[in-house]
Formats: sequence, C-alpha cells, structure tokens
Amino acid sequence: MNKIANLWLGGLTGVLMTAAIYMTFVYVPTEADQGIVQRIFYFHVPCAWVAFGAFGLVAIAGIFYLWLGQPVWDDLGYAAAEIGMVFCTLVLVTGSIWAKPIWSTWWTWDSRLTTTLILWLLYGGYLMLRAMADDTPQVARFAAVIGIVAAADVPVVIVSVRLWRTIHPAVLVTRQGGHGLEDPRMVATLLVALAAFTALFLWLLMLRFATLRMRARLGAIARGLNLAQAAAGDL
Amino acid sequence: MTDAAPIAARGLFKSFGAAPVLRGVDLTVAAGFAALIIGRNGAGKSTLLRILAGLWSPDDGAALLFGEPSAALPPAARRRVGLVTHQSFLYPNLTARENLEFFCALYGVAGAPEQIARWLERVGLAVAADDRVRGFSRGMEQRLTLARALIHRPAALLMDEPFAALDAEGVAMAAALIGEALAGGCAIVLTAHQPLAIAKLEFALYEIVRGRLVARPADGGAEPRGAIDPRQPAA
Amino acid sequence: MRKDLRLELRGGESLVALVALSLLILVVMVFALDPAGGVRDAATAAGALWVALILAGVIGSSRVLLAERDNGCIRALIASPLDRGALYWAKLTAAFIFMAIAEAAAIVLMVLFFNLDFDWRLMRMAPVIALGALGFAALATLLAAITGRVRAGDMLLPLLAIPLFVPALIAGVKASGAALAGAPFAAIAQWLKILVAFDVLFVSAGSLLFEYVIGEE
Repeated sequence: MNKIANLWLGGLTGVLMTAAIYMTFVYVPTEADQGIVQRIFYFHVPCAWVAFGAFGLVAIAGIFYLWLGQPVWDDLGYAAAEIGMVFCTLVLVTGSIWAKPIWSTWWTWDSRLTTTLILWLLYGGYLMLRAMADDTPQVARFAAVIGIVAAADVPVVIVSVRLWRTIHPAVLVTRQGGHGLEDPRMVATLLVALAAFTALFLWLLMLRFATLRMRARLGAIARGLNLAQAAAGDL
Repeated sequence: MTDAAPIAARGLFKSFGAAPVLRGVDLTVAAGFAALIIGRNGAGKSTLLRILAGLWSPDDGAALLFGEPSAALPPAARRRVGLVTHQSFLYPNLTARENLEFFCALYGVAGAPEQIARWLERVGLAVAADDRVRGFSRGMEQRLTLARALIHRPAALLMDEPFAALDAEGVAMAAALIGEALAGGCAIVLTAHQPLAIAKLEFALYEIVRGRLVARPADGGAEPRGAIDPRQPAA
Repeated sequence: MRKDLRLELRGGESLVALVALSLLILVVMVFALDPAGGVRDAATAAGALWVALILAGVIGSSRVLLAERDNGCIRALIASPLDRGALYWAKLTAAFIFMAIAEAAAIVLMVLFFNLDFDWRLMRMAPVIALGALGFAALATLLAAITGRVRAGDMLLPLLAIPLFVPALIAGVKASGAALAGAPFAAIAQWLKILVAFDVLFVSAGSLLFEYVIGEE
C-alpha cells in the first residue's frame, strides 16, 4: 500500500484518537445519573457504528466482486469483515462492562445489544466460512453471497428485535440515556470519538487489505515461476 | 479451423495450487471425427476433459464448444453436448427409466417414451429398467450413463474413460454406439489409459506428456511426432 | 423444471427422517421446559415448536436439498440447458413442501404435548407457518448449495442459517403464540409483516444469487 497514504491515515488516526481520549476523560462533564462509567459510551457507540458500517462494506464489496469478478473486491470484503469483527467484539465487551456497574448484570437483552449480538454471529459465520474453506474463486463467490445476504438481513433483524423488545420491555431499562445528550460538550465528544474510530477502522482496513493483496500477488508470481520453471525444464 | 468447430481448445493452462497440470494444450475436433487422449494417471486427462466440458475454468487459454467458451455456453449449445465423466450423474433413488425420463425432459428430447425404451434396449438394461440405480453394478451404471449421454443426440461428446467397468460385450456395445454417433456427425473426445484397438473405430491418438498434447501414430507406437500440433484429426 | 420435484419426492426417506427429527426435538423441548400439566401455555408451546422446526430444518435440509451430491448430478444440471433460475425455484418448491409437511406434523404433536385445543385458533397459525416455511426454505436452499460444497459444510450450515433466520424466528414465535392464545388479529399482523419482509428478501436474494453459488470452480 502506498507508504504516504499509510502515513497520513495513521497520523490522522493518532491525532483523532488522542483528541477523543482527552475529550472523553477530561473535557466532557460527568453524566449525572451514571457517573464516570458513562464515559464508556463514547467508545461503545462509535465502535457500534463502525461495526455496522463495516458490514455494509463487506456487502458492497461482495456485490462488486460478483459483478466484476476482480479479486481486489474479494480482498476488500474479507479485510473489512476481519476488522469489523474486531470492532463488533469491542461493542459487546464495552457494552458488558458498561452494564455491570449500572444494572449489576453482565448482559441485557435490550434491542441494540441483541442486534449487535446477531451481527457478531453473522460476522462469525462469514469468517468461519472463509477460514474453513479453501482459497478458491468459488469460495470467494460464496463469501460474497453470504455477505450480501447477511447485510440485507440486518435491517430485518433490527426491526424484529425492536418490536420484540417493545412488546416485552426488558426487565432492565434500556440505555436510552445515550440520546439524552443535554450538554453540547457531550455531542462534540461523541462526534470526535466517532471520527477517531472511523479513522482507526480505515487505517486498519487499509493495512489488512494491503496484506491480502500482497499475498494474492505473491501467489500469482509463484504460479508464474512454476510455469516458467517447468517450461525451461522441458525442451 | 472455423469458429464453428464443435470442440476446440486453444492454449489451455491449468495449475492446481503451484503444480501445473496443463501447459498449453491445443486441440481441434471437427464433426464426425474422434480424438482419443491417453496418458498416465494424474497426467491431466480428466482435467482437460472437465475444462472442455465447461465444468472447470482454465487459468489461461480458451476451451470452445461450437465456438463459444465452454464455461458460459448458451442453453441452445448446451443441448448439443453430451458428457460422460467418472461421476455417473445418475440419481440413485430413481429407476433407470426415471433417470432417462428426467434427462429427456431436461434436454427436450421428443418422443421420450419410445426413445427411452429403445435406448434401454440398446444398452442391455431393458430388464432392469424399473429398478433403482442404487442397486446397479458399476457396469450397469456405466451402460445407463452412456444411454443418458447419447439419448439427446449430442453433436459434441466428451467422454472420460467411457469403457471403464464394462465387460467385453459392454465394450462392443459402447464402441457400436460411439461409432454410430461418429457416423451421425458427432465430434468426440475420449480419454483412456492406453490406446484402444477397437474394431471399426478410428481415432486420432494423442498423449498428454507433461501437460502438453503429443500426437501419436495411429498404431499406438511409441514414436512421438513432436510437440503441440493443432491439427485436424485425419480420418 | 418440475421434474426436479419428483426427484425430491423420491428422496422420501429423507423426508421421513426430517419429520421424525422435528418430532423428537419437540419431545426434548417438553422435557426441558416441563410445561405444568393442564396449563395451556401458548407462548411456550409456540417457542418449542419453532425450536424443533429450526433445528430439524437445519440438520435435515442439507441432506434433503442436495440429493444431487451423490453422483455429481449437480454438474449434470449445470451442463444441461436448464435455466439456473429454474433450478432455484424447483429446489425452493421442494424444500418448501418438505418444511410444510414437517411443520404440520409438528403442530399436531405440539397440540398434544402442550395440552392445547384443536380449534379455530390453529387455523390462524396457518399463514405464520406457511410464511415461516417459505422463508426457511429459501434460506436453506441458498445456504445448502454453498455449504454442500465446502469442507466441514455440515457444521457451517447451522452456523450461518441460525443467525440469518433470527428475525423470522422472533416473528414466527411471537405470531404463533399470539395466534394460539386467541389474540386479536392486529397482534399477529405486525409479526406477519416481518415474516413477509423476510420471505421477500430471501426469496429474491436467493433467486438472484443462486447462479453465483451453483457454478463450478
């Protein structure tokens, strides 16, 4: 990958992350109800946005791969899935950490967390498919199809889970407090954190993508070498 | 060589992982001619046949059936191709008759019931017509497979070791069927382990040596005549 | 090509196994949930029903749907003049019929096990069951074609199918429970809408994407 782009993206990520951390821990005021723990919100929510966005990226890459057949799209989708999975895991973990002190339970079945759990399972399925199967164009096509179908399924999941939870409200009050951002400083912090995590995702994505591309190129070179060798070994 | 040659291969390359199997195969078979391809186990006969049939894609080069790439044949052309591979393509839970009925419907064969009866007779399976394929011996399966492949009167036939598992009577029967097809203007590519001296059938003989087709004299003698030679098989 | 259908019907043994499996899982659910005798618990019954259906469907569908794996018949179908789209519809229809039969049998058992009534409320479950069967069939047809060709595909099918099926599962259980408890139609309708959306999604996605999945390497 372009060294300069790498540097720029990495640098940008560093700057934004530093700003986000500062703002989360120093700048923004402590929330009235939940206390210090609420600050995890500024990491939890951006991770969630990234996780969902990454999945959309997997689907889009899948569409392009099926349409154009160029392996670069497949590599992009795979990289996005891997990085997205990491962020999705972070959402669940931070959500758990947040829940424990507030509601003294590790997990709540509120609509957002549940949907994220399903997303996590979908990510897992996709990655398991790629891990278990061989590395052929056919499997790449399979993965693209799964990615597309799963991403299309996500909105249905969201709607159904939300309906599920409103009919039977969770025993624990949902964290709707996330939208009660009275203080403009909170909004600002959230936005900065969002930008920071997005930059982080993009940077990691580019790195991973570059690795996959290099591996593909290596494979092609190896094949070419083999052919040439065999031809030379002949008449 | 016109574009409408029923079976043609141009510069086919195929590798599995790092191991090259086919390294530049050229072949043309015109209507009414047959090419017999021999080679050791693993030489690439089945690979070549599968690529010609459009089941696998070559890494480089083109496999053409009736001038169209075999992997993307339009349905009209697909109707004119017959295939015999190591897998029988037969449904074990259906009877012989039902299998043929199914394939007749698939290929749009007119006057199916009479055709089926006739073919069952010809391959010597009239007695077992209403038994499930599951209980067939390998030889019986092979006979039914031949019927399946020929019943729709293909103009191009690709057969991978069609005489396998057949007793002497079966071989004679198969040879007669193939001879009939040839006389009817079919273009045929067959593979086998060794050259076959089958009465009344004339093949152009090729051997796969290190991934290339080498023409052999018709008597199966060991005089290689040189490297790749795209040639019209002489009758 | 409805001929393919007859084919699936010939796979009669698989159908029997599928039905038997779903019934067995229902039995397991009864032991696990222990519905107090005499208490008509519609919600639990609906839940158990759908668990049984999903598990049986997931376990059974790859076997049922890919009868062609045995002798490479899939290749025969690909090489034939058959339109790939038609292949999908044929498989989908077969899968749907199988699921519907299994569901009908399971419902009968459910009524018996959970001390419910054979009455008009069951009729209201019909659309739920039909939509659920269709959705699952569409999903399974597409997934089975993928996982059938992959190493350890048997394990992969449930791994992929269950998360994807979640919205239909939620809607199905809720709608079934509502129907059995005699709730007003509006209560069922909201879940039916989700089921319809799910079905539309997977049937159309399946038919569009099936050709990418069924081709050879």
